[in-house]
Amino acid sequence: VIADLAYRLRALFRRSAVERELVEELQAHLDYAIEKGVAAGQTRDEAERRARIALGGVDQIKEDCREAWGTALVETLLQDLRYGVRIVRRTPLVACTVVATISLTTAALATVFSLGHTLLLRRLPVRDASRLVSVGATRGTARTDGTVSYPDYLAFRDHAKTVTTLAAIYPTAPLFVTVRDTSREINGAVVSSNFFGMMGITPALGRFFRDDEDRVPDRDRVAVVSDSMWRSWFAASPDVLGAAVRINGVDFTVIGVAPPSFAGTTPMPIEIYIPTMMLRVGYRWCDDSLAETCTILSMMGRLAPGRTVGDAAAEFPTLMPAPWVKAPKGENSGIAVTQPQGMTEDSDEPPLVRNLAAAAVVLLAVCCANLTGLLGAQSASRAGEFSIRLSLGAAPRRIVRQVMTESLLLAGVGGLGGLLLSRVFIAALASTFFSVDDEGHPLLYDFGQTPAGMAVTMAAALAAGVAFSVIPALQAVRLQAGGVLKARSISSRWRPRTWLLAGQAAVAVAMAVVAILLVGNVRLMLEGRNYEPSHVALMRVRPRLVKYTPQRAQQFQREAVRRLAAVPGVESVTMVGVGTVLSGGSARVGLPEWPDDQLVRVGYNEVGPQYFSTLRVAMCAGREFDDRDGLGAPAVAIVNDTLARRLWPGADPLGATMRVGTRVCRVVGVVTDVPLASRTKPDEAWAYAPFWQNPGSIDSRIAIRVAGDPAAALPALVHEVNQIDPDVPIAETITLPIRMAGLTRPLRVGATFIAYIAMLTVLLTATGLYGTLAFDVSRRAKEIGIRLAMGAGRSGVVMLVVRQGAGVLAVGAAVGLAIAPGAIGLVGHLLYSRAATDWLYYLAGTGLVVAVGLMASWLPARRAAAVEPLAALRCE
Amino acid sequence: MDLPQGTLDLLILKAIGLGPQHGWAIAERIQQISKDALSVQQGSLYPALHRLERRGWVKARWGTSDNNRRAKYYELTRSGQKQLDAQSSAWRTLTAAVGLLLDAPEGEAS
Repeated sequence: VIADLAYRLRALFRRSAVERELVEELQAHLDYAIEKGVAAGQTRDEAERRARIALGGVDQIKEDCREAWGTALVETLLQDLRYGVRIVRRTPLVACTVVATISLTTAALATVFSLGHTLLLRRLPVRDASRLVSVGATRGTARTDGTVSYPDYLAFRDHAKTVTTLAAIYPTAPLFVTVRDTSREINGAVVSSNFFGMMGITPALGRFFRDDEDRVPDRDRVAVVSDSMWRSWFAASPDVLGAAVRINGVDFTVIGVAPPSFAGTTPMPIEIYIPTMMLRVGYRWCDDSLAETCTILSMMGRLAPGRTVGDAAAEFPTLMPAPWVKAPKGENSGIAVTQPQGMTEDSDEPPLVRNLAAAAVVLLAVCCANLTGLLGAQSASRAGEFSIRLSLGAAPRRIVRQVMTESLLLAGVGGLGGLLLSRVFIAALASTFFSVDDEGHPLLYDFGQTPAGMAVTMAAALAAGVAFSVIPALQAVRLQAGGVLKARSISSRWRPRTWLLAGQAAVAVAMAVVAILLVGNVRLMLEGRNYEPSHVALMRVRPRLVKYTPQRAQQFQREAVRRLAAVPGVESVTMVGVGTVLSGGSARVGLPEWPDDQLVRVGYNEVGPQYFSTLRVAMCAGREFDDRDGLGAPAVAIVNDTLARRLWPGADPLGATMRVGTRVCRVVGVVTDVPLASRTKPDEAWAYAPFWQNPGSIDSRIAIRVAGDPAAALPALVHEVNQIDPDVPIAETITLPIRMAGLTRPLRVGATFIAYIAMLTVLLTATGLYGTLAFDVSRRAKEIGIRLAMGAGRSGVVMLVVRQGAGVLAVGAAVGLAIAPGAIGLVGHLLYSRAATDWLYYLAGTGLVVAVGLMASWLPARRAAAVEPLAALRCE
Repeated sequence: MDLPQGTLDLLILKAIGLGPQHGWAIAERIQQISKDALSVQQGSLYPALHRLERRGWVKARWGTSDNNRRAKYYELTRSGQKQLDAQSSAWRTLTAAVGLLLDAPEGEAS
């Protein structure tokens, strides 16, 4: 077999040498024959003539030998390719259209692969990442990423046998860091000393934590910095080792630099690491962060040799601390072991990726249908060429192969183009949607293409090449059977190509409806409904990180509000304690007489005076909180419309009393709903209490409405607060629209992607319609000429052609509108607009496709009407 | 006399089995030994030789003939020898069987 292959390869690549040898061999044969003839008494010429006759046609022998070399398949392929390239150069417009269509289509496919791989599949960039497991507490719900306390972690670590290492991580610690005179809040991590060894990474400089540095609470104040922090804060100097770093007001010493390849275990890159024994500095929201009540640590382990995830999943529940077994609802009560895979943290993203992949496949199908039509028209116009080749003895199989080779050539080029284009798309996707989270923290997603993704993309391009060339190729051959002239007179209106066009139009309508709906919802979220996000700047002030007491913190907050309100251009200032602006916290509420177990969980914020006027949320009744609602004053609350209707159906809630947690408050206002729940979820009930009536308030998120651009105003606002105490960390300085954009990332990613696909399908439908009708008009020029000569009006001819396009569009619109509700259902979890207004989007989507389609039909119709009867008839 | 389908390879292998030869001589040899009963279509000789070479049954090398001419000599390889033996015995079995059938007295079968 190997010798056979070597022989074929030599014949293929040493072609000229092999051919020369053959010529020489045949010449030797002739020489012998001539010699023999001469010896027998013939003249030399006579002998040569006879020898040549006996040998037969030299070219035929050569051809047969080539066949014997086993290179015929490759030979004809090369020949087809050469011929294909020539055809491509002769019809550059068709070729460009095919390549562009495939590029734009496969680019979408490759982009989805990248997105899906990174969000759902990618593993950490560490040694043997497939042997890592996440060990998370469960709390009676589906989530398995529950955190545990330090004592619980120790219990698991010291007894687990299915993992060689079990590390504890708090990967998203906001740390207020000061180096020399620069202070900033950055994302840090509190990790156990075995964390780096488990990851299998080695320090770029210095060393990682020793086990004895993570044994005694609060003793070893050592820190490891990330590669990016080393570069930006220490100018990549080796002096970083031993440098002093102040973290949350405590001095640490840098002992090492992490390698550039490792940025942490979540999309939020880790800038600095401290050991778990320093958790009291790294986490300020528990009285004692190392106590059993403070569940803040995640756990990761490396499987012992020969052990599987299943083994670990079986072992860990047997190690659960005793209190977990009879834990109340909402507390840690179980343990789950999973493999860390993919970077997504949003439950909307897995279905989103699936839907986008489905949309990309549909686009691929539309692309195939479209190109089938295009190449079908082309091969019909090449009928003459094919009939000549067939009559010269070419096998029909050969013609089919020829047409398919051409298509595959174009599809291959298109696939490569798609891969290149997808790099641009992925980069744009990453920087637009995945670089900052909804609170302004930098994110790091690795969207690099994988070899598998690239291979599948190329395979899809080539498969499409086969798919869209089969029908035209067969058609090219079949046309010959009936003869060109006969085929020309068959023009029944609904040929397969027309059905393909109607199918494209249907997909275009459905895609356009969904795209317009998604884009409309993005606008709705960024512009706000029942509130106005524009002109609102946000900042988060966390005196707790530097150990402020509540009393001192509240003094600080009052001063901050007073100073901010005095800044020119500021219209109003307010704050949120529990939760975040427009979302966040929750509380259990009810009527005063309700027992504890009947209380319902609702959205809950503790907000400052002027909260609703700052966000431009209208009051339905009553008033909002003001400066009177302080600690000494009666406890008050505000409810939203939905909660008011639930607690006091049909009655006036103003002045009524309600329970918020353990307190009883009097309702002083009812506020309109701010609909931020998607349409698949019920309307949210919200309760609000005054920020100043919580004696424990320390940290806050401040919202400032300004007259001009909030982003431009932020530096001055931050500076104003910094002047009170420069040591108090200020972070998450963003604008409300940016925050809303971050909160709706899946919606925006989906809208962008589907809008792209919709645009392509509409465009393809239009070009397909145009191409088909223009081709028809050119073939029916004679018929149209006769009609005109017989007295048909030009407008009648226009109608004749446009009606054909309109028919296709009508069928497409009907089918498209029938499938659109199903498509909308798939993205329902991303939609915030009410289902009752969907008809508007149906109308807009259909209108768009029909308008573009009619335009595309009108252009060839005009050309038809311009046919000169005499010229058309003379052409025949 | 025309050769039955597929026998050309066998004849060539046999001719080469008698000693390495070039194309012309192979054709000559077949004709001589068969006492001019079998003549090789010269046009199909070379494609057949090349096919046998690709299969690894014959091996080709350039040499000098008795009259000092450069010629391509073909010789049998070990697998070619095996092939020759196998094909020869298959041929003999076939011809013997055909012979038996043809020698049968007519009218007996019914």
